[in-house]
Amino acid sequence: MTRIEDRKLQPETLLRIVGVAFFAYLFFGFMLLPCLNTLTSIFNTKNAAGERDPLAVIRFFLAGNMSKYVWNSLKLAILLVITVNVVGVSIVLLTEYFDIKGARILRMGYMTTMIYSGVALVTGYMFLYASDGILTTAFKNAFPNMNPTWFSGFNAVLFTMTFACTSNHMLFLRNAIRGIDYNTVEAARNMGARPFKVLWKVVFPTLIPTMFSLTVMTFITGLCAMSAPTLLGYDSINPEIVRLAGSSSADEAFPQARAALLSIILAMFTIILLTVLSAYERKGHYLSVSKTKARLQKQKIDNPVWNVLAHIYAYVLFIIYMTPVVMIIIFSFQTYSAIRMKKLDLQHWTTINYYGQEDYEYLTNRGKYKTRVGSISGVFSNEATLGGIKLSFILSALAAALACVIVVVACNYIFKKRNKKSGVVLEYALLFPWLLPTILICYSYRTYFNSDSVWYVGNHNLYYAQNVRLLIIMAYTVTKLPFSLRMIKASFYSIDEELEDAAKNLGAGGLRTFLKVKLPIILPSVLAVFALNFNALFTEYDMSATFASSYGTSYAMVIQAMCADEGLYGYNVNASGRRCASTVFIMIVSGIILYLVYGVGARDLGERLEARDRRRKRREKIAAMFRKEAV
Amino acid sequence: MIKLNDIVVKFGDFTALHDINVHVKEGEFFTFLGPSGCGKTTTLRTITGFIEPVSGSVVVKDRDITHVPIEDRNIGIVFQSYALFPTMTVYDNIAFGLKIKKMKKPEIDKKVREIARKVDLSDEQLMKAVSQLSGGQQQRVAIARALVTEPAIICMDEPLSNLDAKLRVQLRNELKQMQKEFGITTIYVTHDQEEALTLSDRIAVFNKGYIEQIGTPNEVYNFSKTEFVCNFIGDINRLSGPVVRQMIDAGAELKETWHNYIRLERMHVNVEAQPGQTVVSGTVTRREYYGLYIKYYIDIGCQTVKVIEKNDGVRIYEEGQQVSVVIDPRDVMAYPPGEKGAAS
Repeated sequence: MTRIEDRKLQPETLLRIVGVAFFAYLFFGFMLLPCLNTLTSIFNTKNAAGERDPLAVIRFFLAGNMSKYVWNSLKLAILLVITVNVVGVSIVLLTEYFDIKGARILRMGYMTTMIYSGVALVTGYMFLYASDGILTTAFKNAFPNMNPTWFSGFNAVLFTMTFACTSNHMLFLRNAIRGIDYNTVEAARNMGARPFKVLWKVVFPTLIPTMFSLTVMTFITGLCAMSAPTLLGYDSINPEIVRLAGSSSADEAFPQARAALLSIILAMFTIILLTVLSAYERKGHYLSVSKTKARLQKQKIDNPVWNVLAHIYAYVLFIIYMTPVVMIIIFSFQTYSAIRMKKLDLQHWTTINYYGQEDYEYLTNRGKYKTRVGSISGVFSNEATLGGIKLSFILSALAAALACVIVVVACNYIFKKRNKKSGVVLEYALLFPWLLPTILICYSYRTYFNSDSVWYVGNHNLYYAQNVRLLIIMAYTVTKLPFSLRMIKASFYSIDEELEDAAKNLGAGGLRTFLKVKLPIILPSVLAVFALNFNALFTEYDMSATFASSYGTSYAMVIQAMCADEGLYGYNVNASGRRCASTVFIMIVSGIILYLVYGVGARDLGERLEARDRRRKRREKIAAMFRKEAV
Repeated sequence: MIKLNDIVVKFGDFTALHDINVHVKEGEFFTFLGPSGCGKTTTLRTITGFIEPVSGSVVVKDRDITHVPIEDRNIGIVFQSYALFPTMTVYDNIAFGLKIKKMKKPEIDKKVREIARKVDLSDEQLMKAVSQLSGGQQQRVAIARALVTEPAIICMDEPLSNLDAKLRVQLRNELKQMQKEFGITTIYVTHDQEEALTLSDRIAVFNKGYIEQIGTPNEVYNFSKTEFVCNFIGDINRLSGPVVRQMIDAGAELKETWHNYIRLERMHVNVEAQPGQTVVSGTVTRREYYGLYIKYYIDIGCQTVKVIEKNDGVRIYEEGQQVSVVIDPRDVMAYPPGEKGAAS
């Protein structure tokens, strides 16, 4: 079959050529070459005699304690898979499958990790559970024999990440469970199966594909963990890579090559896991064959003992999820002295952590009082904090938007050339960053572009001064491409092919069809992806830590800094309070974005017009009331 | 009006259309009928320009449009899914083609409202989203959108297949009425024989990329040119050897070795046989009650035949009842063995 196409060199053809050139530049310049450079750097090591020794770093790895980081990461990943799945499956079943009282409130609690994650979450947990944390202090007062350092190292990382990594369960497993045809449950019950038998034999098997994907993603998250191990003190691969990347060969043996080797090890694990995942996905899924699918109805737990236990379990989890959020909101309105004393002061509430400045008077070790001007300041009055938020906001928004634009354009091309090699090549090129851990990409950028001999970026050193911001945007964008592609590509599938034919038949060209017909259809999904990307990047830690410099101090790094030097020499006196306030601010921003995207943006034109009608009627009713009163 | 001359379409090595020749007259309601995958939609898409033939030509009003881009063909299409733009209002959907033609706003508005009135869409409905309309209303929007640009031809690709049975019958009548009013040449694709028979001026029956027969509904139904057409259109009995032999013995000019078919309504139960007609006796084994008529399955020994009788409320035969079946040899359609049709 041949399609009729205009063979003249039209603007669309020119755009296509520019597009191909852009994607080639993006793939080779910002994905392949920097990572290849990292790979080759492993074998460019020199021994003590100054001779080239390609295997030196590998021998070092096998002989020294480098393998400790790998084992630690593996241990974390394996245990995390178990704990996250237990908690994740529990919260989904408790809110979607079983009839638990207050499920709506429970769901809101369990979903807080969607607006409260990354470094903000880790520091929030530290604020509560660290040896001087509010809850640990309270428990210590109640139980003096308690070990105050229980929340440190591996335990703390596992605990924090278990509750931080269930967002995907709430998104994807919840959808999967909602997609179950209730008739299958009824059929099983009708044939004599008891509720738990139905759950095990009918419901679970349909969730296995989603569970498998979530397990692989959780394993990779555990393996590549960064903010929790760094802040909570656990020797895993990623923090070590960042440490080595910033080290010099004067201090230790070939740090850069070791960092590269660790990155490559991570990449190998990721590639293996993703290969397993895609092989499993190719086997196919359990699809409901029902044409009249019935909506899942919540199952009552008939046994009163199990019912009570299930309710207790649900609310204990709810408390664990909600406590940091509630405490952070409350303490964001507390004075620095209350926070320092780890006690809630109901008499004194303040908004200083949000806005305003105060001086701080303190007693020096020489017995004199000194005043630090403006040492107590709010998020929106503190230059460093505000600067971090601003920078993160701008960089995240730009990168999230750029990733969406690139992927939308690419998807349009991929769908047009679906059966051609060029479409497949483009798709795989955009999925390439998924094979590599974020830290490898960032590390590669940092080393490769930290030079003024990269011709295709105009021989500019992108790790130098303000250029680092461009590097961060590129890293943010590239790492978000695979996720954006998977999500936006799925929305392209929802476009009826006949729409394109109809537009063409009515005289619309390719560009017009894309802008007027296809784009408005996929726009809600694109905005959703933008929001998810933005939220993830805004509080992201891994990349910020790798690119940390005076021009690249993002919000995550500001928060980390606030943790480190609170109150030192009378500076940063209310750092914890400000951190709480900034976390509240971010929760609000993330919450609004998610609401706008999922709540408002997901409405179709019909729903929007109906809502407009309702608003108009309400206005008319109010106006009529006023007119009546006036008369 | 439309001439398809020796059209050949290939998808890789697979030939989807073999030397298709069709001549559609001005103002005619012409239907492409056939089972799934027979090439009817491919032919339609060749006319509309979505598919370019390997050889042959598409001529509309004496103009060869084989290689003319889709948008320059002036052919309106109503798609199977209607393909209404979900992010636009009904008004914007209808106005889309006019906006592309860069018409002025007042002119667009006039034309949109005019066509909306003709297809029975109210001003209020014009401001709605397409998702707020019923299936039937959506179909009207699709027709309005296709007609508003005043195309020379309108092509409809199974436009009723998404509707429930009752609405389908209702809209079928409206469609025919509209076509008559607009007087526009219409090419209609369907796999539903009843739809084809009720709507069309002429029908082309497709099979495996070939046209088996072109004719009026009566020609196609009562004088099926090939065994495929005879089998595809309506329900039919293939008479077995002993029955055919009995008819030959009674003087019928039939060949026992040929495939002999008779339509269900051409056989009659318990009526007096006229000269030249054959009577076979049998037992009613099953009865299907359709209201307007009743279908009987009658075991006549060598085979079971299906017979349709008008439901007069009086002559209703019970299962197990002995009956006689009268067959007129002039109603038999016979085809030589081995010649299934054009596709064979």
